Amino acid sequence: MSTSPQDQDQNQEPNPEKEEQKKEEVKEEVKEEVKAEEKAEEKEDKPEEKQEEKTTEETKEKTQEKGTKNEEKKEKNDEAWGDFIYNPRTGEFLGRTASSWGLILLFYLVFYGFLAGMFSLTMWVMLQTLDENVPRHQDRVSNPGLVIRPHAAEITFNRSDPSDYSQYIQQLHNLLQQYNDSIQERNDLCLVGEYTEQDKEEVKKVCQFKRSRLRQCSGLPDTSFGFTEGHPCIIIKMNRVIGLKPHGDPYINCTAKRDSPLQMQYFPSEGRLDKMFFPYYGKKAHPDYVQPLVAVKLLLTKDDFNVEQTVECKLEGTDLRNNDERDKFLGRVTFRVKVSE
Amino acid sequence: MQLCKLLNTLNIPEYNLYLCLFIFQTEHKMSVEEVCRKYQTDIVQGLTNAKAAEYLIRDGPNALTPPPTTPEWVKFCRQLFGGFSILLWIGAILCFLAYAIQAATEDDPAGDNLYLGIVLTAVVIITGCFSYFQEAKSSKIMESFKNMVPQQALVIREGEKVQINAEEVVAGDLIEVKGGDRIPADIRVVSAHGCKVDNSSLTGESEPQNRSPDCTHDNPLETRNIAFFSTNCVEGTARGIVICTGDRTVMGRIATLTSGLETGKTPIAKEIEHFIHIITGVAVFLGVTFFILAIILGYTWLEAVIFLIGIIVANVPEGLLATVTVCLTLTAKRMAKKNCLVKNLEAVETLGSTSTICSDKTGTLTQNRMTVAHMWFDNQIHEADTTEDQSGASFDKSSVTWLSLSRIAALCNRAQFKAGQDSIAILKRDVAGDASESALLKCIELSCGSVRLMRDKNKKVAEIPFNSTNKYQLSVHETEDPNDNRYLLVMKGAPERILDRCTTILLQGKEQPMDEEMKEAFQNAYMELGGLGERVLGFCHLLLPEDQYPKGFAFDTDDVNFQTDNLCFVGLMSMIDPPRAAVPDAVGKCRSAGIKVIMVTGDHPITAKAIAKGVGIISEGNETVEDIAARLNIPVSQVNPRDAKACVIHGTDLKDLSQDQMDDILRNHTEIVFARTSPQQKLIIVEGCQRQPPNLHTTSQQTIVAVTGDGVNDSPALKKADIGVAMGISGSDVSKQAADMILLDDNFASIVTGVEEGRLIFDNLKKSIAYTLTSNIPEITPFLLFIIVNIPLPLGTITILCIDLGTDMVPAISLAYEAAESDIMKRQPRNPFRDKLVNERLISIAYGQIGMIQALGGFFAYFVIMAENGFLPSRLVGIRLNWDDRGVNDLEDSYGQQWTYEQRKIVEFTCHTAFFVSIVVVQWADVIICKTRRNSVFQQGMKNKILIFGLFEETALAAFLSYCPGMDVALRMYPLKPTWWFCAFPYSFLIFVYDEVRKLLLRRNPGGFGTEKQTITEAQKEKNISLG
Repeated sequence: MSTSPQDQDQNQEPNPEKEEQKKEEVKEEVKEEVKAEEKAEEKEDKPEEKQEEKTTEETKEKTQEKGTKNEEKKEKNDEAWGDFIYNPRTGEFLGRTASSWGLILLFYLVFYGFLAGMFSLTMWVMLQTLDENVPRHQDRVSNPGLVIRPHAAEITFNRSDPSDYSQYIQQLHNLLQQYNDSIQERNDLCLVGEYTEQDKEEVKKVCQFKRSRLRQCSGLPDTSFGFTEGHPCIIIKMNRVIGLKPHGDPYINCTAKRDSPLQMQYFPSEGRLDKMFFPYYGKKAHPDYVQPLVAVKLLLTKDDFNVEQTVECKLEGTDLRNNDERDKFLGRVTFRVKVSE
Repeated sequence: MQLCKLLNTLNIPEYNLYLCLFIFQTEHKMSVEEVCRKYQTDIVQGLTNAKAAEYLIRDGPNALTPPPTTPEWVKFCRQLFGGFSILLWIGAILCFLAYAIQAATEDDPAGDNLYLGIVLTAVVIITGCFSYFQEAKSSKIMESFKNMVPQQALVIREGEKVQINAEEVVAGDLIEVKGGDRIPADIRVVSAHGCKVDNSSLTGESEPQNRSPDCTHDNPLETRNIAFFSTNCVEGTARGIVICTGDRTVMGRIATLTSGLETGKTPIAKEIEHFIHIITGVAVFLGVTFFILAIILGYTWLEAVIFLIGIIVANVPEGLLATVTVCLTLTAKRMAKKNCLVKNLEAVETLGSTSTICSDKTGTLTQNRMTVAHMWFDNQIHEADTTEDQSGASFDKSSVTWLSLSRIAALCNRAQFKAGQDSIAILKRDVAGDASESALLKCIELSCGSVRLMRDKNKKVAEIPFNSTNKYQLSVHETEDPNDNRYLLVMKGAPERILDRCTTILLQGKEQPMDEEMKEAFQNAYMELGGLGERVLGFCHLLLPEDQYPKGFAFDTDDVNFQTDNLCFVGLMSMIDPPRAAVPDAVGKCRSAGIKVIMVTGDHPITAKAIAKGVGIISEGNETVEDIAARLNIPVSQVNPRDAKACVIHGTDLKDLSQDQMDDILRNHTEIVFARTSPQQKLIIVEGCQRQPPNLHTTSQQTIVAVTGDGVNDSPALKKADIGVAMGISGSDVSKQAADMILLDDNFASIVTGVEEGRLIFDNLKKSIAYTLTSNIPEITPFLLFIIVNIPLPLGTITILCIDLGTDMVPAISLAYEAAESDIMKRQPRNPFRDKLVNERLISIAYGQIGMIQALGGFFAYFVIMAENGFLPSRLVGIRLNWDDRGVNDLEDSYGQQWTYEQRKIVEFTCHTAFFVSIVVVQWADVIICKTRRNSVFQQGMKNKILIFGLFEETALAAFLSYCPGMDVALRMYPLKPTWWFCAFPYSFLIFVYDEVRKLLLRRNPGGFGTEKQTITEAQKEKNISLG
């Protein structure tokens, strides 16, 4: 049917008369098509009409339907790919007219707009139910993890080459920045060996932990944290967990995995984590809180140089887990140190 | 010659030449001596044993080489690598590739891609095995059809008759066949006694044909002195020399020819291909988009490639292959229960999209059993009961004339029941004798009791069997009354011949002279019955006068020494092969389902038309050109062919039709009967039908055509058709091999159930696929957000597999059990070009709308768990690198707590579990909305028990996976807090409401395509209003 106008299009000449003629032809054909379809549709619709009530709405819908059927038919006739991407005759792009695409776009815009609204609403409701100080569930962090600074699984350096270990030292300095005595002076002195419980207080006080308590490992007298002599300081910290109150008398104990014991020095003495630093009340209520640190100075001998030392530090003296099979950082931490000359 | 024509239509030149050369064999034109010389055999002694053995070695056994059965491993590979599996294989290969890249570049590669690859491979192999075994099962049923009893043949070798296995027959063997035998090879008849063969399996000609030693035709197929392999000898005896054995026989040639025909893809295979195109398109589009995005976001090339692969693989619906296979298998099983055995799973759907059925008449539409339909006596036509179960009306049996008529029919009849069938219903008993005589025998047995008793009482004295010159059959009997010494002469035959011999007629038991009026009445009755397409026989009798023929009179049947005229005409009986009971209903169903039923038969046009009218192929009130001409009393040429909707086309006319004329006929007539067609012409008809547009509304070509057939010569048509349907009972092995489907009860009505099932499975597959595809979006989006906004992965590979191969499986399959929404047999066949299994609209709804809602449901659960554990959404964005770094064991959350790697991973995996559970929750709503395409669930109801089971099963499985101890180690799934189950509930509810509103609007403005978008927009607005 509509192949003929297509053919004519191919032999296009800028002749206005011809074009007019063509248009007429096309119109006629379209009319014919519509007529034929109307007939067919009348047939189709008859049984339906009998069943359904005739309303004005329905007739409106039908006219719509006819329109779309017409479009469909046109679609079918041009199967060439070029026409599919853009069909100049019907103005279809990828098989749809611009208005059709626009409608789809509009629909999805509205649809996704609504979904976004709904999602935001549910999220907002959910966030409203949350406490701002304490997360609802803490069962996954009931036992704190241990981490070391400098942050590395393997601490390897040449003690005679400062550039080799400068990054480690830098890390330690950064960590200890907030433990500077000048800052900690502002904090309160707490009772040693007692929890600093202050559930009721509006403003939670922070217990003092001065950097100087780490002595040789404070980086104050010896800015190289012993790296130069080959006796590096490793700082161990326990993860902050809101409301955690370790029972007993927690301390850090490190052992080297080798036959003969490795000499170590703990700061504060015996690697103790004082109870006064617990519990933690969260970022919002306890913004200046600093967690207690333990520094371990590995007193490596000459024989130990150039040999990799594996050290495991464990949190002891308390009921907190330090032997979880899967989580190697729960209450313990393992690291390797290799110092070369 | 006809075969050559057939070959030309097939365009297979090499076969063409080969077979035509063969057809021009000359044995039929040679004299018997020449034939003997050619095969070095003897007309009396037969072959020597040595010669026979030599020939047997030279030619091989006399059996058709089974069509090159594809080796089992090829069949298996086809299952493994065909259609849908390819998609999964590509996915698996991509996975392995990604893993290889990761393994080469990372120290500790994540195993996800490897596992996914392995699972994909496993899925393909398992489903491949499943469908392979399924097919093996149905071919096993096929095997059982084959006649396991080895056929025997009576050969004469070295002058002795020996019974040997038919496979050992060789060319040159002298063999003997008798009525009831199957011809063991192509033979040149050398002598025959009343031998008739049934060539229907070869030529479609249903009338038995005579065989004699004379060459009557140049064409070996037409000449009388050749009997063909695997045809049946109906009666008489013949002796002949074997000229061809095994594959060299005509039958063998055709069988070989069929195996050379290429068959097209099944519609469902095309649909699946189209579906794969769409899915691949979406996958590649998404993959490439995010690849570019990943590069822009600063990922390395390798990472971006891994993402690319990951996204493409995530688009592969892992479970769909299994779902589709199971759904098709379930339908195939259901169809087998209804006597449709489907050989190829994919053919299950083909019947559903069929828009034309070319059906055989004999056996398919009819009972394949001549039955007495009408009788004319006492100047009145009586109707006999032709129904299969004798439920029809009966006629008045009290008339004396009827007694006489039944006596003649019983006595002048050589047919008899085979022994040992007393317990079987009369109509189902086997009869020895020809079709019409059996029909009479059964009719009499039914209405008058035992025929044997009647024959015993009236001892036969003499008999002249039927022959084509006399056109009558006659026998002389003693009478029942022992005191009456007269003989009773009974005769039956062609009515006009019988009438010629009669001078009186029996009316109400009284003999009256045959006057012109009665002759007129006879003519009218004869015409009327003949016009019904029935085979009419006339009956007359005479009590021979005792004075001329005293007791003991020697009747000489060769040189007739008794009176055979001036008889008394008794009546007419007419027989037809009546339609099966269920057929008219089935044809009606086809018509309302928009399926054109075309009858193709080798029978006479009048018979064909009568049956066509009887079963509704030509519906009441529709006329053929001839009918119109007769009604208006004008010549046929003046009738406008467009006025006639029905037409009956004679095979000889068909020969002269050009392709355009043929198309014209097929297009402009809705009710067509092809009569007197040879099976070769069937192929032309099938091709013609396939060329037609499926319905008036499209200009696109190609109709899906189903063809039924049973003869060997039907097999090319069966193969050429989109779906060939062979007959399980009467069909030849070759036709069964060529067919895609087998009707176990040879009943046309079974095809209609097949159509119904086929349409239903198409609808339901669409639902299953929509359901399965929807969950793809909540499976992909987590990965996309993981890449783009750097949040911890919300849904992992294992959980994705748990959805696709676990929880989604049963509900998706349960949709195959869904009842039809409306009467599927009341709508037009689907248009293969427009009504796709998966189209843009389905993707748009599944991916763009429902899938998105589902994804939001999942993400909500994810954010809830993260937030409740301390990671607020604001903290999550951008956290990915630290989150996934094993070295970071003090990651801070929104509350200032610090997490080790393992601790936060447990939270992440809990999120995966929750996301998974959320998908299950939103899939509840999805399966309910997928139940229907237009109807509301409230209209459709929740009657699908399997679906309800599926809902519980997926929930139970999700709970099991979440709470079963050890799952944290095995699958890294963690128990959820009860409240987390409810996160997705609002979204599930939204899906349900949204789709109900969409369907409501769809029902209110029934339209298609363009309008649907609008209605959705409206639906959305409406909902906004209602919610706002």
